[in-house]
Amino acid sequence: MIGGVLEIRHLSRKFGGLDACSDITLYIEEGERLALIGPNGAGKTTFVNMVTGVLPPSGGAIHLDGRDITRLAAPARVKRGLVRSFQIARLFRGMTAREHLELAILEREGKTYRVFSSVKRMAGVEDEARTYLDEMGLGAVAERPVGMLAYGQQRLLEIALALALKPRFLILDEPAAGVPHGESQRILDALDRLPPSLAVLMVEHDMDLVSRFARRVVVLSQGKLLCDGTPGEIMADPRVREVYLGVRADAG
Amino acid sequence: MTGKGALIDQMGVALVAVLGVAAFFVFPEDLGFMTRIAATALYVLSLDLILGYGGIPSMGQAALFGAGAYAAGIASIRLVQDPIVLLGIGGVVGGLVALVTGTLILRARGLTLLMLTIAVGEIVREVVNKARDYTGGSDGLGGVSAAPVFGTFRFDMYGRTGYLFALTVLVIGILVARRIVRSPFGLACRGVKEDPLRVVALGGRPRRYLIVMYGISGVFAGVAGAVTAVTSGIVGLDSVSFSWSAEALVMLVLGGAGRLCGAIIGTVGFMTIHHILSAADPFRWMLVIGAMLVAIVLFVPGGIVAVLDPAIARFRKRAEAKR
Repeated sequence: MIGGVLEIRHLSRKFGGLDACSDITLYIEEGERLALIGPNGAGKTTFVNMVTGVLPPSGGAIHLDGRDITRLAAPARVKRGLVRSFQIARLFRGMTAREHLELAILEREGKTYRVFSSVKRMAGVEDEARTYLDEMGLGAVAERPVGMLAYGQQRLLEIALALALKPRFLILDEPAAGVPHGESQRILDALDRLPPSLAVLMVEHDMDLVSRFARRVVVLSQGKLLCDGTPGEIMADPRVREVYLGVRADAG
Repeated sequence: MTGKGALIDQMGVALVAVLGVAAFFVFPEDLGFMTRIAATALYVLSLDLILGYGGIPSMGQAALFGAGAYAAGIASIRLVQDPIVLLGIGGVVGGLVALVTGTLILRARGLTLLMLTIAVGEIVREVVNKARDYTGGSDGLGGVSAAPVFGTFRFDMYGRTGYLFALTVLVIGILVARRIVRSPFGLACRGVKEDPLRVVALGGRPRRYLIVMYGISGVFAGVAGAVTAVTSGIVGLDSVSFSWSAEALVMLVLGGAGRLCGAIIGTVGFMTIHHILSAADPFRWMLVIGAMLVAIVLFVPGGIVAVLDPAIARFRKRAEAKR
């Protein structure tokens, strides 16, 4: 153990005879900006689901801050600081942006079983929600149901929600997916303001975004870790090109 | 709550109280009927808590209502007569039945869950039917009587005390329900209704939230049952019947689920139409209700409240313009 926030050892998952993920070992340290890339079907989603606790692994172990969380349920992992954002903005459409953040803050503080207290009168909750919204430039739309927000704003809200949970380790699943190219800069700006000590794993297709955000990249292919390096090394690696081109040829 | 819907929710409670008291003086002949409306509104409100605020579809709410009604009825015959205590007994028993059954059935979702709520309703009905010694079986439980409220207000033969008692309980019920849906817990339940997996990603446990909400709903339904038992003096097998469960759902959908005033408006509307039409044409009144339900579901899925909202907003704007 060398001070890794998240340590994944020999993580595997079989679906019937198929190895969706096999023998993945990955250490992520405090303050890291790591990107996970790989073609469709490489096992990225399976991997994320195992780490977040939605899917039990067939083998291997996951440690967060030195503690084994392999058997821990998903909500308990969130409470320990393992947080994810979603690829497709997954929000409560009928609720306002402010209510989203209030719920996240209340969950973090373990106050969601208070049946008779009023959210409005709970000290600090509304103010803190506003702080996160302002930070993401969402202050002006705080009172609108999120179904009415522009897609880029929904993505920013996703990031704000993740931050409100005060994570130790954050998984960003394609944070700019579906956002028009002109707006992706705003997402990147928001990502630049993530706390420096936070360890971040970004799952992404867009190499442009990856090379601007990550300082280390790992490539997943057919359920296995193919290589590990700086964005420059990865883009120059012939194996990575082969994986991407090869799959594209197969899929066609 | 934000925007155009807020006013009707703010004024709702005061309006129910004022109109309720006004009705006491305007319709002195119909106090028995109006007492039933008040108790039923509380019952439909209990369904709104789980369906409108938790997304749990239920066709077995009568099990919780009936549990409270029988508990209060049996207690009044064998144990105590104080009406407030009887309401407490009804609420506790309704809540316990909800917690126990909820823990079992809330593993399922959607249609499966709906079927399970029906199953629970049928099981409770059969238990009540078989336990003749306590419940009177299909003959019903008669002779339920309560002591004067606070030792002062006797339940009179005109039903004046009964009506004011039921109305007071309803108003308190709305206030408490409003408090609950605006609490952190209510917020979490709304999240579960929209997307349980997203709640998990925030660190919440959706099933636990729903079980607690189901328990709270059971308390409301149980109190509603107890009010009915105390004010009417009898508890029949119809209070645990499938059709009583279904009617709650019809009233809630008519009024508008997910809004507390929807439950009240739906109940008053349904029962009034029922009352007038079934007297005029005992065989075909259901046809009108059916047509209304189809129209509401097709054209205004938000229920009667959704129709009233814009009208109230317009009225308010005009009032502000005049000033």
